[in-house]
Amino acid sequence: MRFRNMNWAPYLLILPSFIYLLLFFGWPMIASLQLAFRRDSQILPLRAEPGAETPVVGELERGTTVEVIDVQLFETQKAGGLLTEKVFWLEVSGPNPEGETVTGWALRGNVFVQDASRSDRGTVRAATATLRAEPHPDAEPVGELPRGTALTILEWGKVDSKVAAGGLLQKPQNWLRVSGETASGEVVEGWVNRAPLFLEDAKISAQGRVQSGEGSKEWTLDYVKRMLRDPKFMQALRTTLLLIVIILPIQFTLAIIMALVLQSQLKFNTLFLYIYAIPLGISDLAAGLVWYTIFTQNGYLNSFLQSLGLIERPFIFISSTNKEWIIVAIVLAEVWRATSIVMVIVVSGLQAIPRDYLEAGELFGASLWQRLRHIILPLLKPSLQVALILRTILAFQVFAVVVAISGGDVVTVLANETYRWYDIGAYNNKNVAAAYAGFIMLLSLSIAIFYLRAVRTQEEKEAAA
Amino acid sequence: MTTTSSTTQAAPLVTKVRLRDLPVEQRRALLAARLRRAGTYTVALLIALWILLPIWLIGTLAFSAPLDVRTYPKQAAPIPFSTETMEFFLNARGVLPATRNSIVVALMTLALSTVISAPAGYAIARYFFRGRDLFRLSILAVRAFPIVILAVPLAVTFRTWGIYDRVYSVALMHTALTLPTTILVVSSVFASVPRELEEAAKVFGCNPLQAFLRVVMPLALPGIAASAIFTFVMSWNEVFAAVLLTLENRTLPALILYNLDKSGDPFKFAGGFFMLIPSLIFIFFVRRYLFNMWGQITK
Repeated sequence: MRFRNMNWAPYLLILPSFIYLLLFFGWPMIASLQLAFRRDSQILPLRAEPGAETPVVGELERGTTVEVIDVQLFETQKAGGLLTEKVFWLEVSGPNPEGETVTGWALRGNVFVQDASRSDRGTVRAATATLRAEPHPDAEPVGELPRGTALTILEWGKVDSKVAAGGLLQKPQNWLRVSGETASGEVVEGWVNRAPLFLEDAKISAQGRVQSGEGSKEWTLDYVKRMLRDPKFMQALRTTLLLIVIILPIQFTLAIIMALVLQSQLKFNTLFLYIYAIPLGISDLAAGLVWYTIFTQNGYLNSFLQSLGLIERPFIFISSTNKEWIIVAIVLAEVWRATSIVMVIVVSGLQAIPRDYLEAGELFGASLWQRLRHIILPLLKPSLQVALILRTILAFQVFAVVVAISGGDVVTVLANETYRWYDIGAYNNKNVAAAYAGFIMLLSLSIAIFYLRAVRTQEEKEAAA
Repeated sequence: MTTTSSTTQAAPLVTKVRLRDLPVEQRRALLAARLRRAGTYTVALLIALWILLPIWLIGTLAFSAPLDVRTYPKQAAPIPFSTETMEFFLNARGVLPATRNSIVVALMTLALSTVISAPAGYAIARYFFRGRDLFRLSILAVRAFPIVILAVPLAVTFRTWGIYDRVYSVALMHTALTLPTTILVVSSVFASVPRELEEAAKVFGCNPLQAFLRVVMPLALPGIAASAIFTFVMSWNEVFAAVLLTLENRTLPALILYNLDKSGDPFKFAGGFFMLIPSLIFIFFVRRYLFNMWGQITK
């Protein structure tokens, strides 16, 4: 019964959580840095068939020039068979480290294809294929070709993404400019998606280079460079910072108002508290969907504006040409969802302010604004500071709200890029994903240090004065 | 919630005094106080409306018939009421298994997180030991740690360990995410149990374990339950790590997120509302403990 005197009892009690945090925070952090800065991809295994489960038939070194023999769109079942994910596999052939020529299948992401001269003939495989004026699913149709029509392929184009509101995944889509005879014997020319076509001789006889694989370790900045060169990087960084700059002031003002309201002992105070606290339990995904119902083309905002007679027909808020409106929707969703946490912190801070101070202020006839400016806010500073650090760091991770509202294509953020680089269906490069994650970490750390130092220098200044 | 603020002091006076009996300046002051109070109520109601209206709107769509969901302009109330859209969502392929996964993950997270954090919370609340402040500080630091940076390496590691795409691996990750918060909350719960009661139990012959189980635990239990509920909600809501760590055994948020671009509006509306339900229910139960929970992090 001497536990209290023997000092090891508390250590024993905190040991499990200590180990757990070390295992799931300390260690992944190091692993993340390794992923981002260590080249672990020197050797690319080649498979007998498309698909990661098939046996390895050979190995190629990174940087080896290979010949691309065939390309196949390989489907894997995902989400319990609900979805099929299409990934390109290439059959490549090249010299292995021992100098023998090996042939096998590799993921498209691991092989950089330099020049793709491709097939120039094909037939329509689906019931009909619609030719369009532009390589885009929404482009104006210029003709229909029935099943079995022979086509001449004039040009290969690649559209990088579906610019659809829900287009979470950015998958490259192949569009072909083809010409063929319609049912009425007329020759038409236009763009068509690769999917409804059967391409005869679809072999890409092209040069490629192995750009990643698995194997030995060495330090590298390649992934970081690749992240920096990624055209989406600056866009994501800008949007993330912009969101922080817009959201935080609104959030803090609203949170302070909410806290003051809760402190003024209204009737139904507990009801108000409950309502104000509801968003604490709302996920970013749900919040995004909630605001999607409002901002979508047939959504509530348009319904409301139209019923007021302000607009004639629905205004498309969420489209690639309306970035500003997407930002507005994201800001509203984030303010709606994440103000409660700031409010709770502010209320706890308010409760710690001695009542005498407030009463003294009132007694001397200070207005609400004066009391706020000279009594409440200065005393609230520590709480606000914590809330500020917390909110800023969390804001760097904003993800599901953006994806739910805009699909993450037109407006993208850092966390979304991390996910995209990681995702097997998109870029499938965990190293660049780790570089993104590390960048977010760096931003969070520097912002925390910046705040803390700013506060300290101010305190020193006050102490000196 | 005990301190009163400023503008409200005049309120109890108003009860029986008639305005016209008062001198002019008092009458003015009273009127001004009432006006201020009315203003406060207006602001309070407006904020409540700002929070509730969007929930009402998505709820309206979730409980309208699919045909009404697609109409434009949208209706402002679910008339006629219909569970068809909701049923469509729940019967969409993958949704029920994903819901089950989500519940299992959240329960596992709740159990693991509570079991691991309770001793640590107790230690922080009751003992002064070397390194206590450092431990507290590192928990605070970890609490604000980006999920994003953890999820990528963990997903890669789980792959090499062969526990990728498992329900329990998501639970392991979620426990890591919720643990810091839970430790802080539990420690504040224990700190709010008077130390004297524990001492008294010992005076009356309980050993420390008995004192803990019979005196401290019953008093701390509601608070710990609140923290457990909150852990459940955090896990239920988490999407980034879940979508990275799973492929086929998706949790509900991961499934919805992954299917966003492939699904129509009714799926999104019903899914969004379905995900809201736990927060509506659970926040109601834990509302008294909110400041215990989140107030902690400022200290």
